[in-house]
Amino acid sequence: MNIEEYISSGIVESYVLGLASQEERSEFENMCNQYPIVLEARNAFEIALENQAMQNAITPSADVKSKIFNTISSSAKVVSIVEAPVKKINWFKYAAAASVILLAGSLYFNFSLTEKNKKLSGDYTNSLTELNTIKKDIQVLTNKSEIKMASLKGTDVSPQSYTTVYWDSTSHDVYLLINNLPKPPSEKQYQLWAFLDGKPIDIGFISNDYFIKQNSLLVKAKSVQKVQAFAISLEKIGREDVSVPAGEVYVYGGL
Amino acid sequence: MALLQERNEKAFGYLYDNYSGAVFGIINSIVTDKDIANDVLQNVFVNIWKKIESYDASKGRLFTWMLNIARNASIDEIRSKGFRQSQQNQSLNDNVDFPGASIGPVTEDVGLKKVLANLKSEWRVLVDMSYFQGFTHEEISKILNIPLGTVKTRIRSALSQLRTMIQP
Repeated sequence: MNIEEYISSGIVESYVLGLASQEERSEFENMCNQYPIVLEARNAFEIALENQAMQNAITPSADVKSKIFNTISSSAKVVSIVEAPVKKINWFKYAAAASVILLAGSLYFNFSLTEKNKKLSGDYTNSLTELNTIKKDIQVLTNKSEIKMASLKGTDVSPQSYTTVYWDSTSHDVYLLINNLPKPPSEKQYQLWAFLDGKPIDIGFISNDYFIKQNSLLVKAKSVQKVQAFAISLEKIGREDVSVPAGEVYVYGGL
Repeated sequence: MALLQERNEKAFGYLYDNYSGAVFGIINSIVTDKDIANDVLQNVFVNIWKKIESYDASKGRLFTWMLNIARNASIDEIRSKGFRQSQQNQSLNDNVDFPGASIGPVTEDVGLKKVLANLKSEWRVLVDMSYFQGFTHEEISKILNIPLGTVKTRIRSALSQLRTMIQP
């Protein structure tokens, strides 16, 4: 069976609607990892389904919300610490909601001991900073209508790699979302390129800190007036001429 | 600490305000009794709150995840003993009060169910049984006396149709 046949076999819908068997689910998840086109089909159906559900929303009784909040405030004594899976999330609006919950949830812990309390206030501040960064990033992407997107797919060097570039066609700002990129060795660093008429333009390096801390959703690059494509190469730190790519290209994609 | 709690619940409140209507729509397409549907919605959001850390963004959108929690909870509800009894009592009372009145749900089809109405009837029954009533393929095969393989292929075909129907 080829990929198109697989996609139109109804498996996408079965999976999303929760009707697929365990075996089918695992197979589908593998296919999503292997073939971006399967992932795209899943995402498209999810969005269609969501729009459909939103259009057919029914307002529940007004007292349900307060009942829910009464239940969760009385049961929220112990919640385990979790990290927000910021890197994996690719849908920003939900990332915002989920992050807020996850981050805040991670701070619920034993309040009685002073020591833990101290750690907690530290965590809280960190999470808050992290959260505000993410919020700002999300605002960038959701408040503007002039944002164009480029999916940068992995080259033969690293087929698993995948990143997304957002280019604001009015302000010319460039933002990078690293969906999947291997951690660079310490003597190397990634460099982002814009392409215009086949010529590369250096639009900045991705700090290796990103791969250690991973505390931001988007990486801001240098602005670029006109662009047709983007690429990321892995370069030796401290090379002489940084205006031309010298290392291997990891991802590439047109606007 | 009070601040923390407030922040936490504020975020969850945002989630509720945005999606409770859509989630409630799905619950209503499975659980027809409004009061029970409201109870299910309450449980669903309490569960979302409790399980949010198990949400894995690589496997789908947050809404899809919430939708599946809602569907599962709704099906559990209609399959529970309490629900079946309350439905029976309901019908009985209706009969007593309004002799001759028709029994059964008279709600208009909304949302996905409405989309479903456009499917071929032999497909519609299967999708309805599997998605809205939660029967397994094996159960459907037994109830309708259709070979298991046929049930599977027909559901798959119906679902792939469904996609073209809900896409704008």
